[in-house]
Amino acid sequence: MSIVSCQHLDKKYKKQYALKDLTIELEENRIIGLIGRNGAGKTTLLKTLAGQIVPTGGEVKVFGENPFNNLKLSANTIYVDDQMQFSLEMRIHEILVAAEMFYENWNRELADRLIYYFGVDRYDFHDQLSKGMASTFNAILGLASRCPLTIFDEPTTGMDYSVRQDFYRALLKDYIAHPRTIIVSSHLLNELESILEEIVLIKNGKCILHESIEDFKEYAIGLSGDKNVIQSIVDHDVIIHEKELSESQVYIAVDNHLSEKDITGLKQQGVQMTSVEAADLSMFLTNDTRGGIDDVFKSS
Amino acid sequence: MVLNHDSSKPIYVQIAEWLETEILNDQISTDEKIYSQYQLADLFNINPATAAKGLNILVNNGVLYKKRGLGMFVKERAKEQILLRRKNENLMNMVRDLVQEADYLKVDDEELMKMIQQIRLERRGES
Repeated sequence: MSIVSCQHLDKKYKKQYALKDLTIELEENRIIGLIGRNGAGKTTLLKTLAGQIVPTGGEVKVFGENPFNNLKLSANTIYVDDQMQFSLEMRIHEILVAAEMFYENWNRELADRLIYYFGVDRYDFHDQLSKGMASTFNAILGLASRCPLTIFDEPTTGMDYSVRQDFYRALLKDYIAHPRTIIVSSHLLNELESILEEIVLIKNGKCILHESIEDFKEYAIGLSGDKNVIQSIVDHDVIIHEKELSESQVYIAVDNHLSEKDITGLKQQGVQMTSVEAADLSMFLTNDTRGGIDDVFKSS
Repeated sequence: MVLNHDSSKPIYVQIAEWLETEILNDQISTDEKIYSQYQLADLFNINPATAAKGLNILVNNGVLYKKRGLGMFVKERAKEQILLRRKNENLMNMVRDLVQEADYLKVDDEELMKMIQQIRLERRGES
């Protein structure tokens, strides 16, 4: 069953489109990675799904209903980011009690264990927590609420490496025990990719790709070798990314649709073939230009 | 085992190969239940769908069979299946790459055979 459905969604701020003609369907009980550059529209999309933003055009359905001003949605959805606001009067342990009253599936034991493990002080006020601690606490809130639709918007901001690893592991383990739909946005794919089932790439407010993570990893292939050899065999249209290695050598990433004949031809002429890492591929696909930072420093 | 996330081998293929190794080493025997997708997901810190894909490779290769509602089990003669397929597919592909590189470097059959024999001798010496 599809839990999220967006049809030709637009969101316009003054004259700028944050979302433009975005169409996407998400099935339930999966972990989905939402990847895009800063300003691509990730947060606008996620806040629209969480009912916090009204779109300018198109249609959005979550649990089959319009998410805005919707009680069913707010009881079944949690949106976690690093800007979460809590009452300044409430200490951490009081926020946990309030969350338990609101979320039907709330698991107190999980919350308490995670709070203890990550060393969050139960008697602190939320605005006194360090940036990393606040992110950790918000993430715990997201996990323990066990909402059918759980949205993490850049949840690891400020967390150090080991906490990020622990958080993603906790997310996976709790998902295995209690399957639900989890959307995680990030601009860092490599720490996240192994726990994902699907990946959604967005660029300039549009969904440009939605694949299973396995298909995504096989989507492209990297070729490095003699520029003339590669150019004579590979069609220019399928090039995703191009980088000059030297005067005569080049690295390109292409759509993985080369024929057997082309592959044999390339190999025979000494072209090296490599897989393209998911994190690199997502960067190539969401970049506005085909080149890279090196081009900026190229003397013309 | 730690998965190699940088390898060009997809994770689900690595899972399938790890399971094959477990069977070859008699860690799991005929008609015994193999790890579930959820156990594998927890063990290797991967999405259960990825783990399921690894298991399905082995079902398609005739190494595992499904019992509805009970899970997946090791088929009779699974070891022979695994060895046969590894020889016909993996090893043959490696040989194909080897020969291709040899051609590229203009190494003839005789020299290539000598190199292979040399490595075999070295390995025997080690063990």
